Amino acid sequence: MMRSLFLFDMTFWLYLAALSLYVAYLFAKRPAMQMAPAGHPIDNLEDRDGAWATQLGQVATLVTVFGWVLNTLALTTRAFERMEHSGTFAPWSNQFEAMAYVSWAIILGYVLLEFRYRIKAVGAFVVGIGFIAMGAASLLPYRYQTAEPLVPALNSYWIYIHVSVTLTSYAAFAMAGGLGLMYLFKERAVNRGIQSRFYAAFPDLETIDELGYKAIMLGFPLLAFGIILGAMWANYAWGGYWSWDPKETWSLIVWLIYGAYIHARMTRGWEGHKAAIYAIFGFLMVIFCFWGVNFLLSGLHAYA
Amino acid sequence: MNDKFDAASDVSAPRPSTSGLGWDEFSREVVDFFASIKLAMFLFIVLAMTATIGTVIQQGERPETYVQEYGEEAYRWFLRLGFTDVYHTWWFTGLLGLLCVNSLTCFYKRFPGVWRSMRQDKVSVSLSFIQGMKQQTTLALGQPKETVAERLVRLFAEKGYRVLAKSDPGEITVYATKGIMGRIGAHVAHLSATVIVLGGLLGSYYGFQEFGVCLEGQTYHIPRGNFDLRVDKFWIDYHENGSVKSYNSTLTVIDQGTPTMTKTITVNDPLVYKGIWFYQSSYGDAWDQIEAARINIKEKASEKILATVDLEWNKEKAVDGLPLKMKMTDFVADFAFNSTEKKVFSKTAEHANPAIRLTVDERSSVQSTPWVFYHYPDLFEIKDSAYQFEFIGYQPKKFTGLQIARNPGINMVWIGCTMLVVGMTLSSLIYHRRLWAKIIPGESGVTLHLGGTTHKSQIDFQKEFKKLTEKIQAQT
Repeated sequence: MMRSLFLFDMTFWLYLAALSLYVAYLFAKRPAMQMAPAGHPIDNLEDRDGAWATQLGQVATLVTVFGWVLNTLALTTRAFERMEHSGTFAPWSNQFEAMAYVSWAIILGYVLLEFRYRIKAVGAFVVGIGFIAMGAASLLPYRYQTAEPLVPALNSYWIYIHVSVTLTSYAAFAMAGGLGLMYLFKERAVNRGIQSRFYAAFPDLETIDELGYKAIMLGFPLLAFGIILGAMWANYAWGGYWSWDPKETWSLIVWLIYGAYIHARMTRGWEGHKAAIYAIFGFLMVIFCFWGVNFLLSGLHAYA
Repeated sequence: MNDKFDAASDVSAPRPSTSGLGWDEFSREVVDFFASIKLAMFLFIVLAMTATIGTVIQQGERPETYVQEYGEEAYRWFLRLGFTDVYHTWWFTGLLGLLCVNSLTCFYKRFPGVWRSMRQDKVSVSLSFIQGMKQQTTLALGQPKETVAERLVRLFAEKGYRVLAKSDPGEITVYATKGIMGRIGAHVAHLSATVIVLGGLLGSYYGFQEFGVCLEGQTYHIPRGNFDLRVDKFWIDYHENGSVKSYNSTLTVIDQGTPTMTKTITVNDPLVYKGIWFYQSSYGDAWDQIEAARINIKEKASEKILATVDLEWNKEKAVDGLPLKMKMTDFVADFAFNSTEKKVFSKTAEHANPAIRLTVDERSSVQSTPWVFYHYPDLFEIKDSAYQFEFIGYQPKKFTGLQIARNPGINMVWIGCTMLVVGMTLSSLIYHRRLWAKIIPGESGVTLHLGGTTHKSQIDFQKEFKKLTEKIQAQT
């Protein structure tokens, strides 16, 4: 009955394969022969690996893109399934679909990043998060995974825009979290003077830091927009744009946390190590906002 | 003041040049404190931390709920700290207010500099200023300085920069800037905080929110708008699997006695009249009225069921084959009796103990008005009557729950929200870039000192700077 579930499943396995390939790619890289001159970290981004690693990297990218295409197909199929018995077809109408969508957005963001900056090492972390999101979705009980008809409050065109924008901001924060983790790994290696093959493929610290900052700069306005769209929806649904319901409040808390980050970046001493730890912390808060609130606290979003 | 501004960028608000009392010194300190990024960070974090309280502790519950869950001592502390209604405490509101003050002061202090930078900018800078920049390079070019300057101007303009050049004896300075909108955007976002808060205050002082339970066919007066509202129809649509698809009420506004507007409202689609919004908020079973009731009529002596009748609300019915006329006049969903006022009332809205009141007319000789109970068929006996009445089933009357609200601050809130999103987006996507080039003629050709600065997105700027440098070199 649910053809989409099969596709979601396939997506899960492909992401797992992609993640494994990226990790293998890291191990296959040859250590850089020399340190690039300071001040020109861009030179580091040039591929200087053996043919073996290059091929691994290419396959990893291919599998990732293919997985993402399947993910897209799965969401599209789910949209058609929803069309059959619900007025709205937004394929992010329950926890499972939302997770699958976040996964989709993370992988899309990663692929764009790879094509733009030509860094494959990030894949080992960010594709990992996308895979975990998809995996966590698969772990949900079956009744969470099916496409039940929507309750009247959700059956509205607002669901397309409010939910998708908010989830996309989550994906951006997930990316920043992955980059923060990567930063800490690389930093440890640099501090201990480890010249292993593994870290050779990593971009330099400044680049990782900057990319993480960029991801948050993308997520921050998106989350604001998502929250505001939610307020507008609430205003049309129950006549109050803000009711301090747990989900509402938690999304605001997450926004405030990143607001502090954005302002901190303007001051000295908040790049690098501190920013990386903060980005991971912020991402954990996003996870709580997304999962914890639904399962631990009561509120209007209890069904989502 | 540990704000990382590149040199020659942010000029703070004009400083009055009086002397003596140290007043301007003091006021400058105050402005600096309230405009500081540190204060912003502090407020963001503290607001985030305190906002969690209200999501963990249930808000606005009855005292006994808290006492049961947390104990009496804890509840006393909750009351002292306002934890049962965190978001309306003086200190939480105060923090929000401080955030407004913070962003406004920041605007006051920094915006004039940005504004000035839009209109006129410092072209002339010292050589050491260029050499101290994060992105800087020195090139030797074999062309006359005018040619080099012209080419630079053209190149920068092609890349979308606004270019200014200045010729001094012995050197030419070229200045290029792009993306000032990013800075403007940040300030628009800062202003939006206050706009949103003001809109919120306006709504809470001059707006209202009420909840009305309405029954089909009734007309209700809306005193706040001085008009009437008639509920023509209420119905529920179901999905195939039996879950609720939508619930809808057809409402008619009657103004000065004439129907002026009819609309079917549903969730997410309210009716608006004279600034008052009517939302389809909920529905349920009425607790003081039902559509119909089914009564078994038993003979007292033999306990035999003689007849079963269906009574409609407030309609007298003669029972076939029996000398009886019956009418159902009252219903309570959760029967309770107030002994001082001698009144029956419904304890809750739940249908926990439904009961109806009958008016029984037996051969015109026995008149009685008994309450009969759905759950307790043999509770009371009617004296002198030959019958016993059993209340065996009923069809509830659905009420429609309407949220009635007016919010004069709403448009201001949306304006603020728009400012916030637009401002944040500009500030995130567009970053302010500035380039300075000094062309100094030498023995053969010229030496070009090129420096650039941005306040965000160093990587991209680095790339761009590199490309620019390569382009300049390639053209010689």
